[in-house]
Amino acid sequence: MSDVEIARSQDAYCPARGFYDELFDGDGTARPHAAALAAALAALGPEQLAAAGRRRDTIFVEQGITFDTAGDDGPTLERPFPLDLVPRILPATEWTHIKRGVAQRIRALNRFVDDVYHAREIVRAGIVPWRLVVSRSHFARAAHGIRPPGGVYCHVAGCDLVRDYDGSWKVLEDNVRVPSGISYVLENRVAMTRLVPGLFTDYHVRPVDHYPQLLLAALRAVAPAAEGEATVVVWTPGPLNSAYFEHAFLARQMGVELVEASDLVVRDDVVYMRTTHGLQRVHAVYRRLDDDFIDPLEFRPDSALGVPGLMRAYRAGTVALANAVGTGVADDKAIYHWVPEMIRFYLGEEPLLENVTTYLMSDPEAMEAALRRMDELVFKPTGESGGKGVFIGPATDPIELAGLADVIRRSPEKWIAQELVSLSTVPTADENGNLAPRHVDLRPFAVYGETISIVPGGLSRVALIEGSMIVNSSRGGGSKDTWVLENGEDHSDSAVPARPESLPPTLPDLRYGAWTGQVQQQQQ
Amino acid sequence: MLARIAQELFWLGRNLARAESMSRLLEGVYLADLQGRPEDPSAARLSWDSLTHIMGGRLNGEGRPRSDEVLDALTFDTSDPASVVACVARAREGATTVRDVISTEMWEAINTTYLRMRDGDLSRPVLSGPVALYQHVKERSALFWGLTSRTMLRDEASAFLYAGGRIEAGDMVLRMLRVALPTGRGSGPDDGHAIALLQAVGGLQAYRRAVPAPAHAGPVARFLLFERNYPDSVAAAVDAVNGALRTADARPRNSEPILRLSRLSADLEFRRSAEGDADLGVTCREVQRELGLVDGDIAQRYFGGARAA
Repeated sequence: MSDVEIARSQDAYCPARGFYDELFDGDGTARPHAAALAAALAALGPEQLAAAGRRRDTIFVEQGITFDTAGDDGPTLERPFPLDLVPRILPATEWTHIKRGVAQRIRALNRFVDDVYHAREIVRAGIVPWRLVVSRSHFARAAHGIRPPGGVYCHVAGCDLVRDYDGSWKVLEDNVRVPSGISYVLENRVAMTRLVPGLFTDYHVRPVDHYPQLLLAALRAVAPAAEGEATVVVWTPGPLNSAYFEHAFLARQMGVELVEASDLVVRDDVVYMRTTHGLQRVHAVYRRLDDDFIDPLEFRPDSALGVPGLMRAYRAGTVALANAVGTGVADDKAIYHWVPEMIRFYLGEEPLLENVTTYLMSDPEAMEAALRRMDELVFKPTGESGGKGVFIGPATDPIELAGLADVIRRSPEKWIAQELVSLSTVPTADENGNLAPRHVDLRPFAVYGETISIVPGGLSRVALIEGSMIVNSSRGGGSKDTWVLENGEDHSDSAVPARPESLPPTLPDLRYGAWTGQVQQQQQ
Repeated sequence: MLARIAQELFWLGRNLARAESMSRLLEGVYLADLQGRPEDPSAARLSWDSLTHIMGGRLNGEGRPRSDEVLDALTFDTSDPASVVACVARAREGATTVRDVISTEMWEAINTTYLRMRDGDLSRPVLSGPVALYQHVKERSALFWGLTSRTMLRDEASAFLYAGGRIEAGDMVLRMLRVALPTGRGSGPDDGHAIALLQAVGGLQAYRRAVPAPAHAGPVARFLLFERNYPDSVAAAVDAVNGALRTADARPRNSEPILRLSRLSADLEFRRSAEGDADLGVTCREVQRELGLVDGDIAQRYFGGARAA
């Protein structure tokens, strides 16, 4: 590959104006940490990249790594999870900042959930209005006064981060109910190492495959059982759930049972699962469904997915639920607004990661101000997830916006408005292997057991349509493998690894079969 | 049956099993090498460096080999007897000799494996690296053993074929264990390497289902040594070789290798119940030496004194 060719293929990629591109700076030269990747991509060329893309689709369909997308006219389509083969790189220092920021946020949110169902100090201090807290759709009265083991509520959490036009990281929303996507992080990495191993050559990327162990260790740590004896299960709503692949993936990777509601039964405030050897006690449940559905006796009586009596067992402390009941209140987009305040209040620290500027529509002045500039803002319903019901002002028809204004005026507490963030871009390959800038976000996954651990990187979601900022996979977004690099030492010299302290034992030589019977006979 | 044929079958099994183990190991190292293992960088065990140790210290002496040299030598180099390509070529040669004894389908499976490799559409594809070749060998090996269990008469011939395959598998697992997971060093957990090793041998899910402990060096080594329910463990391999020889031998009670294997099997069970991981390294060494002796006994008793070179 000559320099001329490299230069030409880089010229072919021009970062979009007004946005921060993570691999190339404004005039189209690769950022220092991305130079080797840019060269490797140029060496591959569009054709090879496109070929690898076709192999990826075949492999994903064969392995059943698919995602259901809602078609326009209703029926869902099963398609291979769209992994873009150009990775996203986070240098070690940047990652350290993100990691600390996310961990700080999760600690504060966890304290908040505990507070809301106990002493309500933050309400008494006049920071968060109680009226707003109780009106959240995921506020769970049934969780009042229950403190799970270790005081951990948000065992599994993910924050959605975005990068603004100046490259600064901001939190877009917090997911502390049942954040999904971690299975794609792990599968993406496996697929990348198999499809385009050449891209890894000049980098030392931190592995992500220990996530299931972290999760299992955290679940064991909070289970009310003796050390090493806890039975952990993953509870799925069933194969029809769009994230069923992930549920099965986690159960398989952790080596635990994947249960449905009909497998679980509560007797005398203790949870059991039905096995071929009779009932077996369950100590910790990693549940992948919302509060509303877990126990028809306490929440929605029409839930066929729930286990009657589960809340009784939970209250009695015989079973740990992850995440704890009632965490949804901290997931709410109106509560999000107060997270920086929470960090100051509970932890006495300054937030490391900023919020995106948010206006609560329940505040009449803020609402009027926001409604006056509807075409510049983003409007989100507070209790939804997955990008449902989001209106992006500049991209929405004025007539629709007028209708939206009426809806917001009628139930202002159910809406927030946010300043539009100019999501950063990363080069992304299209069907023909040509690179073009596409917008991305980042969802790092945190596991909170005895401590908070965060898997290096996380799920980078990418909008596959030019100019689009909707990255949700249910709305046609794709994903990227996220590389967190080792600390800055020079690691190109892989021929000289650190010498282990003790040399491995010398093993006997390999044997080879050789028919010598005849020779020996003759010698005798 | 003819001693020569028995010996050919035994080595056919060994060569195929070696090709598969080598492929798994190389793929494991290759993939692990793509990513950093930050947990314990000083214990970078599953590496190109350790591969040369696994193969009995070859390539040593001329300084530290470069990773792509090791990869090339152990994968594609036909002149290196330990390479994957060479193992498959030897297996095919052996299969040609015993073509009348094994089923047509088995012969075809080996022959196509070899031909596709030789014709080169698998070797060194620029994009996916050598992984396609490893995948090919793994798949074809599974096909061969599957066909063997479906189409070959369970007679003496198949017993020697199995015995060869299983003794080689046990030997390779021991090699990997001794180099990649030296226990008893009393250091921190090298999770990364234990997981990478389990992934390489394809036993990660089995481990997670069978063992509640996290995948640290100690429990993983115990699992790969002692867990009879896991088909690729050393204990399972010892039992399988023992069982195969018992079907083949007219007087098993007088058979040196069978007696030795039975003792080894019981010994493994005793060691399994012993507390602590401190002497796992010793166990590995002793078991491997014992397997070497079994190999010699087999040659002595069944192959008319044909010694393994």
